Amino acid sequence: MSLGQTLRNRRDATPSPDPVAEGAGAPAPSRRGRPPVRKLSLRTRLRRDGALLLMVLPAVALLVVFAYVPMLGNVIAWQSYSPYTGFVDSPFVGWANFVRVFSNPLFLDAVQNTLVITAFQLVFFFPVPIVLALLLNSIVTPRVRTTIQSIVYLPHFFSWVLVVTVFQQIFGGAGLINQTLREAGLGSGFDLMTNPDTFLVLLTMQSVWKDAGWGIIIFLAALSTVPPEQYEAAAVDGANRWRRMWHVTLPALRPVIILLLILRLGDALTVGFEQLILQRGAVGADVAEVIDTYVYYQGVIYGDWSFAAAAGLVKGVVSLLLVLGANKLAHVFGESGVYRKS
Amino acid sequence: MNTTTTTRRVGDVPVRRRSFLGMVAAGAAVAGVPSLLTACGSGGAGTATTPGATASADVLPTYVPVDYVEPDYPSVNGSTPGYETIPTELVQSVPEAPGSGTTFTAMTPLWGTIPPTKGNQYYEAVNGLLGSTIEFQITDGNTYGDKLATVLASARDVPDWVTVPTWNIPPRFGSEIVPNLFQDLSDHLGGDKAKDYPNLANIPTDVWRFCTFNGRLYGLPFPGEVITDAIFYRKDVLDELGITPDVQDGQDLLDLAKELTGGNRWGAEDLWNTAAIIHAVPPRWKLDGDKLVHRVETEEYRAALEWNAALFASGAVHPDAVADQAGDAKTRFQSGQSLIMNDGVGAWHEALRDNLGSNPAYWQQPFAPFAADGGTPVLWKGQPANIFSFLKKTDDEDRIRELLALANVLAAPFGTTEFDVVNNGVEGVHYTRGADGLPVPTPLAATELQPTYVFLVSPPLANTRVQYPGYVQTSSEWQQQAAEYLTEPLFYAQQIVEPAQYAAIGQPFVDLEKDISRGRKSMKDLDQAVETWRASGGEELRSFYQEILDAQ
Repeated sequence: MSLGQTLRNRRDATPSPDPVAEGAGAPAPSRRGRPPVRKLSLRTRLRRDGALLLMVLPAVALLVVFAYVPMLGNVIAWQSYSPYTGFVDSPFVGWANFVRVFSNPLFLDAVQNTLVITAFQLVFFFPVPIVLALLLNSIVTPRVRTTIQSIVYLPHFFSWVLVVTVFQQIFGGAGLINQTLREAGLGSGFDLMTNPDTFLVLLTMQSVWKDAGWGIIIFLAALSTVPPEQYEAAAVDGANRWRRMWHVTLPALRPVIILLLILRLGDALTVGFEQLILQRGAVGADVAEVIDTYVYYQGVIYGDWSFAAAAGLVKGVVSLLLVLGANKLAHVFGESGVYRKS
Repeated sequence: MNTTTTTRRVGDVPVRRRSFLGMVAAGAAVAGVPSLLTACGSGGAGTATTPGATASADVLPTYVPVDYVEPDYPSVNGSTPGYETIPTELVQSVPEAPGSGTTFTAMTPLWGTIPPTKGNQYYEAVNGLLGSTIEFQITDGNTYGDKLATVLASARDVPDWVTVPTWNIPPRFGSEIVPNLFQDLSDHLGGDKAKDYPNLANIPTDVWRFCTFNGRLYGLPFPGEVITDAIFYRKDVLDELGITPDVQDGQDLLDLAKELTGGNRWGAEDLWNTAAIIHAVPPRWKLDGDKLVHRVETEEYRAALEWNAALFASGAVHPDAVADQAGDAKTRFQSGQSLIMNDGVGAWHEALRDNLGSNPAYWQQPFAPFAADGGTPVLWKGQPANIFSFLKKTDDEDRIRELLALANVLAAPFGTTEFDVVNNGVEGVHYTRGADGLPVPTPLAATELQPTYVFLVSPPLANTRVQYPGYVQTSSEWQQQAAEYLTEPLFYAQQIVEPAQYAAIGQPFVDLEKDISRGRKSMKDLDQAVETWRASGGEELRSFYQEILDAQ
């Protein structure tokens, strides 16, 4: 969360116990209940925010150097580019690379695989950290809680190579499960790692094991901000456990959930390059080729940089539109989303 | 991705098993690939390229062989000669150090631990022989391609001497990189001029031909084996099981792999390369009448796929290999979890080095060559070099001459002092002579004596690994036998610069080979892929090669 986000939350926190009820009826949710701000001169604003701006400067500089300047390189998507000829001398070819991207059946397959994986994970991976956070939050003994927390965080620090190897050692044809089955005389056909039909499940299992624990951090932080008085008040009013969760806990989590959903949508076309390229050979390109791996093979392996850049750019633009759209949608529902014009 | 992770010792050389066949299959070929721009002949960057140009005789160095030691197992048809003993009297082939005390930078890969630069007595010894200093920029061999592609894209960062493994050749290499960045050596080594550098003149002509790009000589070679691959089995384990394999055709091998499978042991690794070898699948093109046929269109290719699919279907392939974890294949094979494996011939002595210590009975043995149908086998001759090096382009003639003189020292063959120092280091420091006269490496050798100079240029191959009992004899005899069946593929030893737009059309076949082998796709999918290949540039590629063929 950015600094601005935190500040805004603090500002919003005081007077609105139920933002939805208030926001839903309001025609322009962005202006909910605030007095109109007088336009200050640039100089005054600079003087007021000078220190903050100064603090932001290093981060902005890094962003410019490592994110915005390299973005200029996207110009090669309209060129027939070769690094040995350079940006300047490579000829411009108009939209030819984009035409090739969209007329290429392999690219469309990759897009389809990407979307299927995203949709599946949205349903079966995204809610897991929320549930975990709620469960953890209900554990009262701090010692037990931190122990469990550490255990579920840990896999996040493993590299994908390791995760895939561990899964191969357990679920592979020569792995633990199959060995046990064979020794028990129950057949030896079990091999989850090379079955294209169950690949989606496998991918999601790996993601959950590796990252669900890490994902609960933000939710736990949000849960810790719920004032205990609200639970007490609800309890006094006779609300049972479930009603307390429904009416107190979940509303408190909602802004965070929506924020993460929007961010997730922005990443909808990014489904784990390493995880997939490591297992592409095991299940075949038909189910495991996604946009990122496709761009890698075209650009890096086959040296068709311009084509790969065009494909990557299409992905980037679609992702941006998804974030903007989701953010807009969040505003419509009265949430603050990722950002908001003040 | 290809990985070779074993630590290497004295004079060991990485032979990348899958890389050669893999690259050819990918259609990326060993050739560089020009951009549309230069292919259209605008030649803006001063690179008039002639894709299929063959090097004329005055470009190639005149071959003047020198023999310091008679091999015990002479070369047959290009097979590597074998030596049972190391000569006690060594010859210094270049009596005076030719260098002028200059410091040159060189970039080389290394599959091992990077040696210290300061106070390295091995470097000091070799630089002493050279008379100039070579300062190495060493990069992990497994990621060398990434570094190379980056360095080559930025001319300022190119060192004086650059090693380029054939499997790391980036696209557009021959057309754009070589002429723009590297020194044309034709006028220094072509024809009789090579006689100024006798150790370089000792390298056979085919090897040099492979170092030419667009009709000019650019590369300095690290000569390669004519027989690149072997189908190994764990003879020690099979002996224990009381099985003496008698493999005469493809079916025999399938049966053997099946028979060996049981419990926590599997018969084989992924034998796709084996399938290609026993079915004589051509590396790139073959001639059918007077028409060029690409490897993916051949009956041999289909038959090889069907054979490999049958192997997978029989359940004899180790499940981790089914999951395409090729990087660990060697570990599985050497630990006995799988018993048949395709590998490069160089892997044989490496395996002995890595395993004899812990398992003195360890022995892997290649099957005698056989054809899938039981007929006479056809083995395609391996390209004459696996690795080359290039000198950075310069107008300073003296600098080029000096670097070539240094190369001449490094290319000194077996039986010379130079070869001995480059490969074994300094006596008393890096090795001691054992009772039988064999060099025994000291602990210091492991840290200092990593292969570095050998990647810049090397003499013709010699099998001198006398330290493994029986190895020189068995491997030399096997090679001599296999060499009988050697056939030169079309366009042998030629660097052909393919146009860039054809680089990716071979991609589907790499996936398809895996998919069909694992039963995920059928031969119908192959038919369709071949149709797509023809339509998306295959026919043009055929005409492109046909023109080169007609011009020869």
